[in-house]
Amino acid sequence: MGSPFSMNGGACVAMVGKDCVGIACDLRLGMQALTVSNNFPKIFGINDSVYLGLTGLATDVATVSDLFRFKVNMYRLREERNISPDTFANLVSTSLYERRFGPYFVSPVVAGINQTSGKPFICGFDSIGCIDFAKDFIVSGTASDQLFGMCEGLYEPDLGPDELFETLSQALLSAVDRDALSGWGAHVYIIEKDKVTKRLLKGRQD
Amino acid sequence: MEVLLGITGKDYVIIASSKAAMRGPTVLKATDNKTRNLNKNSVMAYSGESGDTVQFAELIQANVQLYSMRNGVALSPPAVSSFVRSELAKSIRSKRPYNVNLLLGGVDPKTGEPSLHWLDYLGTEAKIPYAAHGYAQYYCLSLLDKHHHPDIDLARGLTILRMCSDELKRRLPIDSKGLYVKIVSKEGIKEHVFEDEGQVLPA
Amino acid sequence: MDTLVAQYSCPAIEDTTLDAEQDELLHGPDALSLNFSLPPIAQPSSWLRAMTDDASNPNCPIKIAHGTTTLAFRFKGGIIVCTDSRATQGNWIASQTVKKVIEINNSLLGTMAGGAADCQYWLAYLGMQCRLHELRNKRRITVAAASKILANLVYSYKGMGLSMGTMCAGVTPQEGPALYYVDSDGTRMAGNMFCVGSGQTFAYGVLDAEYRYEMEDEEALELGRRSILAAMHRDAYSGGFINLYHVKEDGWVKHGFSDMNPIFWKTKLEKGEFSNVTADME
Repeated sequence: MGSPFSMNGGACVAMVGKDCVGIACDLRLGMQALTVSNNFPKIFGINDSVYLGLTGLATDVATVSDLFRFKVNMYRLREERNISPDTFANLVSTSLYERRFGPYFVSPVVAGINQTSGKPFICGFDSIGCIDFAKDFIVSGTASDQLFGMCEGLYEPDLGPDELFETLSQALLSAVDRDALSGWGAHVYIIEKDKVTKRLLKGRQD
Repeated sequence: MEVLLGITGKDYVIIASSKAAMRGPTVLKATDNKTRNLNKNSVMAYSGESGDTVQFAELIQANVQLYSMRNGVALSPPAVSSFVRSELAKSIRSKRPYNVNLLLGGVDPKTGEPSLHWLDYLGTEAKIPYAAHGYAQYYCLSLLDKHHHPDIDLARGLTILRMCSDELKRRLPIDSKGLYVKIVSKEGIKEHVFEDEGQVLPA
Repeated sequence: MDTLVAQYSCPAIEDTTLDAEQDELLHGPDALSLNFSLPPIAQPSSWLRAMTDDASNPNCPIKIAHGTTTLAFRFKGGIIVCTDSRATQGNWIASQTVKKVIEINNSLLGTMAGGAADCQYWLAYLGMQCRLHELRNKRRITVAAASKILANLVYSYKGMGLSMGTMCAGVTPQEGPALYYVDSDGTRMAGNMFCVGSGQTFAYGVLDAEYRYEMEDEEALELGRRSILAAMHRDAYSGGFINLYHVKEDGWVKHGFSDMNPIFWKTKLEKGEFSNVTADME
């Protein structure tokens, strides 16, 4: 059967640009070698300026995304404001650590823009909540080795939204083309202070 | 070698399950029904560990009906699927998980839109136009990729089901004793007699 | 005078050279050595299997390139042979441009599935044996004989961890179009249609539904192509390029090594197939 992290396959990557961030994921849902669905997005909108990417075991991707939808809705009702990306990152971290001895098999990625400071924010996590803050990019999923390679090669600081989209898309598409368990199309979100652009990439279907 | 198949068409969903109830090398029953009606517009087909399957299916059936009694509305197929998924996700981290894989087919009572959900014992869920469980996935999904279209009528849907059934007869080493077929449409759920047309041999 | 006679009565080539050449013809040359060194332990075969079987042990130290879909079927107009081109080592796609059809000679084809190195080496060896057969007997080897050389060969290594599932397809005057399946267990059988590899079931699904012996050439080529496409789409370990051949009475004809991606989107958009793949958002 292999590791729970690589049963269903999937990849996610986030990048920082100038006054913008991007986050992208593939669309495959598989059972080992068999592709079951080609429309299984792994990015979830937390609010207009914060997005959560989840790769790993598909059942936990669904469970964890539902859990955070609930927690963030409760936060919004209590505080009467949207959660900021850095606060949300801490919420993700503590929620995952609550399952320290029986973890959710997911590798989350958070990308967003802090609406008060206007600063871009990205971070990644391991499955039990260790936060990995990064200034440039975060990768996760079964194609993470390939994504590291692509991002190290393509990334440059202070890209505008359009260049960031191009870089992010190229990095993801090239990476998943070298991974048997991810690909089959992709979603890309480019988040600016008052605008989010969502695009569908037609990837290779093999 | 249990077979579950689901095909959506323009205003209906076909759910099919193999009729053989097998224990080890024995066929205990050749007229088994591996489906349950959850309400007037959704059907669940199940396969997996014996015992777990029926227990789980009846648990879901009872709870979906309880919800309707309490709230006076029928759950839509996506809502049922979401509920079933959460039950399976809870179960997989419990002391004794249900080992059940499911197909959930239904037609939205208001919009008439057909939907088909694929769920496995881990709580993985996918909404797809056609689905299968077990070895049937490996033979039928590619066939359905080629022959399925979203707007097919019922006759075409049943023809495609026949193609799937023929392929399984041709390539699976164990006969599954025919298919038990249910069709869900806006008018409700009805059984469909799927005649066994005899042996099919590889070319 | 005697010396003159002696000079011309002597064979032009020395006996020893001739002997060596005849010896090589009879017992096989050294170029493809059949002397494999084995690890110096009690059970080399089980040890090798443990080191190379990444299905049971994902961390096995020797990763062999795997994952394939290959198919071949007989029909009125000859034999269609079609394969994908992906090699994987675990989940890593090692190559998207593997040539899985091996051209043994201009009327015989072999396909490879399983261990890439095993297939490449032994089909090259088979090619050599077929050529030697031709030289010795002054006529083409039959597909039956060629496949039997391969089957006997791999059978002699049974249990040593060879991994191959191959098909031999060819047309000879004696047999007409002939298709044989040979695998590393030692199985060898003739048939009308075989699909081999991790994506075999997906290819069968499409192929069985529309296969007829009476197909026209164009129809048969399209069915072969479409069956491999189906497997590439559903099987994670198959993909890349569609490698298509048609074996006819006067030898095989290659019908391209074409990227699956444009073919996939053309099939989807023009024929409306693959309705599970979303081409637009939500």
